[in-house]
Amino acid sequence: MGCKVIFDITMREKKNSYLPEFSCGYALPEKFKRKELCLPELGELDVIRHYNKLSNKNFSVDTHFYPLGSCTMKYNPKINDYIAGLENFSALHPLQPIDDVQGILEVLYTFQELLCSLTGMSAFTFQPSSGAQGELTGMLIARKFHELNGRRPSKVIVPDTAHGTNPASAAMAGFDTVIVKSNDNGLVDINSLKDIMDESVAAIMLTNPNTLGLFEKDILKIRELADKAGALMYYDGANFNALMGVTTPRMMGFDIIHLNLHKSFSTPHGCGGPGAGVVGVTEKLKDFLPVPIVVKDSGRYRLNYDMKKSVGKLRAFYGNISVLLRAYTYILRLGGDGVKRVSENAVLNANYIKEKLKDDFKAPYDDICMHEVVFSCINQKEKGITALDIAKRLIDRDIHPPTMYFPLLVKEALMVEPTETESKETLDYFIDIMRKINSEVETNPSIIKNAPVTMPVKRVDEVRAVRDMDFRWHKDGD
Amino acid sequence: MPYILNTENDRQAMLRAIDIESAEKLFSFIPASIKAKEYLLDKGCSEFSALQKIKAQAAKNTTVNEKKSFLGAGWYDHYVPAAVFDIISKPQFLTAYTPYQPECSQGILQAIYEYQTYMCLLTGMDVSNASLFDGASALAESVLMGLRIAKKNKVLVLKGINPQYENVLSTYLGGTTYIIEEVKTIESAISKLDDETACFVFQTPDFFGVINEPDEVISECKKYGIITVNVVNPVSLGILKTPGERDVDIACGEGQPLGAGLNYGGPGFGFMTANIKYVRQMPGRIVGKTLDLDGKTAYCLTLQTREQHIRREKATSNICSNQSLNAITAGVYLALMGSDGLSNVANICYDRAHYLYNRLGEIKDVRFSVKGEFLNEFVWNVKDAFDVLACMSDKGVYAGYLLGNDYPDMKDSVLTCCTEKNSKADIDFFVNKLKEVLDGV
Repeated sequence: MGCKVIFDITMREKKNSYLPEFSCGYALPEKFKRKELCLPELGELDVIRHYNKLSNKNFSVDTHFYPLGSCTMKYNPKINDYIAGLENFSALHPLQPIDDVQGILEVLYTFQELLCSLTGMSAFTFQPSSGAQGELTGMLIARKFHELNGRRPSKVIVPDTAHGTNPASAAMAGFDTVIVKSNDNGLVDINSLKDIMDESVAAIMLTNPNTLGLFEKDILKIRELADKAGALMYYDGANFNALMGVTTPRMMGFDIIHLNLHKSFSTPHGCGGPGAGVVGVTEKLKDFLPVPIVVKDSGRYRLNYDMKKSVGKLRAFYGNISVLLRAYTYILRLGGDGVKRVSENAVLNANYIKEKLKDDFKAPYDDICMHEVVFSCINQKEKGITALDIAKRLIDRDIHPPTMYFPLLVKEALMVEPTETESKETLDYFIDIMRKINSEVETNPSIIKNAPVTMPVKRVDEVRAVRDMDFRWHKDGD
Repeated sequence: MPYILNTENDRQAMLRAIDIESAEKLFSFIPASIKAKEYLLDKGCSEFSALQKIKAQAAKNTTVNEKKSFLGAGWYDHYVPAAVFDIISKPQFLTAYTPYQPECSQGILQAIYEYQTYMCLLTGMDVSNASLFDGASALAESVLMGLRIAKKNKVLVLKGINPQYENVLSTYLGGTTYIIEEVKTIESAISKLDDETACFVFQTPDFFGVINEPDEVISECKKYGIITVNVVNPVSLGILKTPGERDVDIACGEGQPLGAGLNYGGPGFGFMTANIKYVRQMPGRIVGKTLDLDGKTAYCLTLQTREQHIRREKATSNICSNQSLNAITAGVYLALMGSDGLSNVANICYDRAHYLYNRLGEIKDVRFSVKGEFLNEFVWNVKDAFDVLACMSDKGVYAGYLLGNDYPDMKDSVLTCCTEKNSKADIDFFVNKLKEVLDGV
């Protein structure tokens, strides 16, 4: 059944009962008033039913296996939400006197120390709301660092496997991006890197493991080349969940990093945010972080704005605090032993899927993978079935599709990230379904081509959406 | 082990399947020199222990509910109906990701489409995106959008923008050659408009609470093809004139007042609405309505060729994840409030703030240096404001925000806000305590 747009639900009487009566006798002069505001007047039950209907039309981690590569759709523990909702955290205004918010500042300070231990960095900012905003922060730090050293390098190197945000963030910070090619093993091609690494390079942005799910084994060589050119190393921490407790970005040679707390640290993705893309830096870059940062002076916590080299602010106030609280809870729960087990299990789960499916779906890089595995559906494509078709067929089998057509390097890519929280039983179900779909390529291709048929809608005409440009409801006749 | 379902037996079976003897071996190609030799953190703990520890930290906070709070300055303590929390805690909203696969995300997509409609109706503009990070970065993105459209170099900002937003704007433009210039009055704004100007930015009500209407500047901007950007508080649009009525090109702001709660400053969400002719220069996700193969109404993410995953370094922005859940929250909040509820919120804020303003006017040591009609916030002046605010806090009142923090020439100015949560009795309490403080009691 379709679901009415909320604006088409029958209107109720105008009688809002959520607010106190007003009492003091003041009213806005007419000349400042807007034309009539026309929002629907609904009863609470109308609204509850409407959104419950909508919620039932979605796949989510709590209801479905969701192996969306690069996005780390692991289970989101409920204690994290509970803590974020405690009134002593949620009912704090960001401009309260410092003495009244010592608890939350202690949390932020402690969390910062935990992240430093886990990554080898020296300081963190909590301001960036996402990985992309973390990248922008990092690139602005790199720019300012070089400028204060009297240099104006103009380029940032990103691999051809990079997330799209990397070149976009570098461009926003005013850099030209230069692509370094991958070699036949799916890793940064060191010789190509040598050719383009020179003093005009401000930084190289890397994901490790990279988006093919492979560990950049030559990371120390890359570090050496960057050092020679005076370039900084930026770590896109989207895939840090493969390496927690195993190594640190600092050991790998990175100067600036971001961590996606909504990926590695289990905070819920909320249909696409809010997340947090906290940024950590080494000692020499500490003073460049956005203001303010939380500091501790003789047992009292405060916000330090006095940082002359700071790149400025990336948002109003301090960060997505309720997201940070969730991640903090998660780290305390897991501890040093727990985070390592997370990475081991995430990597084991991905390799198990790879091993079990590599005869049916081409695995272009037949090495041990890390937390995710990229398959190519080129063999199926030759028979007329694309990666998109397979993704849609998975929906009919109650599985959220993997990431499709990324990284760009792999044709007909399906990028599978099972995460550590999924059981062998679930993985076996996924493997079984994928094999069945592969046999359907021969035996019943139309069932794949027509999928999904079990959802509220069949395949959605995305081309038409671009053409129609219908981005909002209009009253009939408008 | 918390949150991991596989048993040791499962793991052994999986290791056998991939023909590797231990999980450690999966990491064998990482050079030994960069492997951690020991655990990097203390050992983990039970849920109960974690809860005890964090609750002890939480107890060191004093919440706004324990005093009378009149703090605003860009972040507002409005009442959020209980039903909002119920809806946005649903796992199918909370634990889903960006609706890349429309067929199994129709609920999310429709909720965002409805959010977009709500923001258009509120602001009087044509088109809304699916949200940005916060009000400050929404302003920065709006200005970048204006610069792309106008293809010129200068940004003119009218004084009264939230100072944090101005700071974020200059951070975002930090890597570019664009010029930001601040003007203090409408007259000087008009005199500064020229062929080099790409964007004119103003906020209303401004940071000091004043409802300013730079109509002359806006019509002057049209002559030069200058893109006008209007920062607004969405709750104010329950009653105040809209960006659409002012005929600006882009409206943006902080969505936190629409149901997000306080959370020590985040998350809220940034919103942006614009004239339809500029939609292809908009940053961020946009949901569009379309049909499925059977001709049934369906929704999907659209105009994606603007975005980083396709356009990479040529994208309109680097934004990927936004603040979807908070945008959906705003939709739920507005659905529950309706026109009547939202305009009531704004009317009550106006009522309370004016009552407080008038009561403060009774006190001879209080002056008002900032003139102009206001909605929910206003500036008052008192000698030694820093100390006065500290004494007020000791007496149980957060009396406002000290503007001297941002403006060296306003060290005795306080920005004070009222919402529907401040009762008449709270306001009388505020005034009595202030009299005590000023009388040295």
